[in-house]
Amino acid sequence: MGRSAEVSVIEKTLRQRQLPSGGWSYFSSKQASVEATCLAGLALGSDSRGDPVSTLRFLKKSQLSDGAWPAFQGDSEGAWTTALALCALTVLNEISDASNRALRWLLEARGIEGHWFWRWKFKTSDRNVQFDPDKYGWPWISGSASWVIPTAFSVIAIKQFTVCNRSEASENRIHLGVEMLLDRGCVDGGWNSGNSVVYGVPLRAHLEATAIALLALQDERRSELIQRSLVWLKKEADSVDSVSSLAWCILSLFVYQESVEALKNRLATLLGDGRDIRNNATLATALLALKCGEMIHPFVVLR
Amino acid sequence: MKLDRRRFLGSSVSVAATVGIAAEWAWPKHSVSYRRPRSAVAVLNADEYSEKIEALLLDGLRLFRLNVLGKTVLLKPNLVEDLPGPVNTSATLVGAAARSFLRLGASRVVIGEGPGHQRDTELVVQSAGLKPHLSERQIEFVDLNRDELRKVKLKANYSGLGELWLPRSVLDADFVVSMPKVKTHHWAGVTLSLKNMFGIVPGMKYGWPKNLLHWSGIHESILDICATVPIHFVIADGITAMEGNGPLQGSARQLGKIVLADDPVAADATCARLMGFDPLRVRHISEGCHFLGNLREDRIRVLAEGVGAPTRPFSVLPEFRYLFAAKS
Repeated sequence: MGRSAEVSVIEKTLRQRQLPSGGWSYFSSKQASVEATCLAGLALGSDSRGDPVSTLRFLKKSQLSDGAWPAFQGDSEGAWTTALALCALTVLNEISDASNRALRWLLEARGIEGHWFWRWKFKTSDRNVQFDPDKYGWPWISGSASWVIPTAFSVIAIKQFTVCNRSEASENRIHLGVEMLLDRGCVDGGWNSGNSVVYGVPLRAHLEATAIALLALQDERRSELIQRSLVWLKKEADSVDSVSSLAWCILSLFVYQESVEALKNRLATLLGDGRDIRNNATLATALLALKCGEMIHPFVVLR
Repeated sequence: MKLDRRRFLGSSVSVAATVGIAAEWAWPKHSVSYRRPRSAVAVLNADEYSEKIEALLLDGLRLFRLNVLGKTVLLKPNLVEDLPGPVNTSATLVGAAARSFLRLGASRVVIGEGPGHQRDTELVVQSAGLKPHLSERQIEFVDLNRDELRKVKLKANYSGLGELWLPRSVLDADFVVSMPKVKTHHWAGVTLSLKNMFGIVPGMKYGWPKNLLHWSGIHESILDICATVPIHFVIADGITAMEGNGPLQGSARQLGKIVLADDPVAADATCARLMGFDPLRVRHISEGCHFLGNLREDRIRVLAEGVGAPTRPFSVLPEFRYLFAAKS
């Protein structure tokens, strides 16, 4: 089966798993996940047989009154998925009040280091983890610290949505988020989930966190950390057998103009017809990776 | 009567203690108790992860006369990261446990875990070597970070969280088995069967790591989670354990033990003793003995072998030297 035939079989599988609400759950439940929905919506959005209308309807309906999105249907607390939803609305060309409200929420949200008391605590009494608390990003949910993946997605979402009309507040928040990412880089390159050193021991980078952090930094000055992380990601991508991590590697390396054809071939082999991949977020990410270069990259940031 | 400073301080302490006792009586911290008059523990000797483990484990489980007939058994191993070294519960032991419970009559075995740091669960399952064990019928893996969730009121109130969203696969299981890796932990002192239950808290809601639990107090969150989702049985992997800067960056420590117990507090107290620690000095174990299980040795019936004093206690970070048991 050729690549395009494989892609269309996977698209069909993903479409069949869409819930009547317009969303997707991670696995086979009826509880839609905003992450799975955004990724599936992005993966199928440009497809002529796709139905972005029902995805967008789901997203608009599940937005909370404060502009945020919860992590899943039924929850009432804003989460990191707000950034992903804003990316989906922007890439699917649904620029509306929902996007503006999401941006306002993102500009207000911050990890607890955003509060002077916690910054002071981290600086004075909590030195087992080494990072600069003045450089803070976004949490997974409110009441927790800044972490790499929510920060990276928030930076991407704000960069994409404000590309033509960037306020000072957006610029400042992007700058702080980028600074946070650059501060948390691992010694050997790449990013772990948050801090890079705990109890004096350097942590090892994670593929997914590294790929997503690099996506957020794609338009920044190619610093030594970015370069080192890119080298690390390329090396690790050659041997990883996990569909999700490999797909994120492809999506990230592509925007840095690295060759991804061999990685796409390996991903296609791992995927088969996609039916064995039960996690819809993973299947959608894999689809996006396979279609890299043939559609608008959902996480590309224009300069 | 003249109130001097000593008398004033003494009175204040008495009043505070009385208020504390009254508050505990009026607003108890937990609404459940799983403590029984006596608990059972078996400490099995196993020097390596080999095919022999399955027979050893099955014999060990039979000592407990467990009733799992027709039940759905949830095995909760400790799978944290795709790192080398004794970070994760051995897949050989998890596979052996799954097959043993099926042989004891369980209708279905679910292996469930929500890794705390690594978002790519497939990567963790792959690197832990669990995949070959999942090919068998009636054994399935559930990613607890992304399972369907239900909001649950917590049955203890140490953390102040009040409620948590928890995975359906855990709440629907008939028989929950915590399968920790015996390790030191750089925030909690030790990570054993009680701490292992952090892994049921879903990342899709609380993130990677589940940072809210840290901010709400690690010991407090452990107590609240274990009060809400009772652990029916423990199989602790202490064959190759971890000491020092656990749970990820410590050193391997050959302990050569598998600890089985029908009570998580008894299991953790036994493991702590095997590590050379005083279990009363681990806050979640010492508090857990009031309602989650038994800690005192006279309340623990040993079904197989005894807890020999370790030749050398596990090494710990300097902050945790207080854990060491006093030399008798």
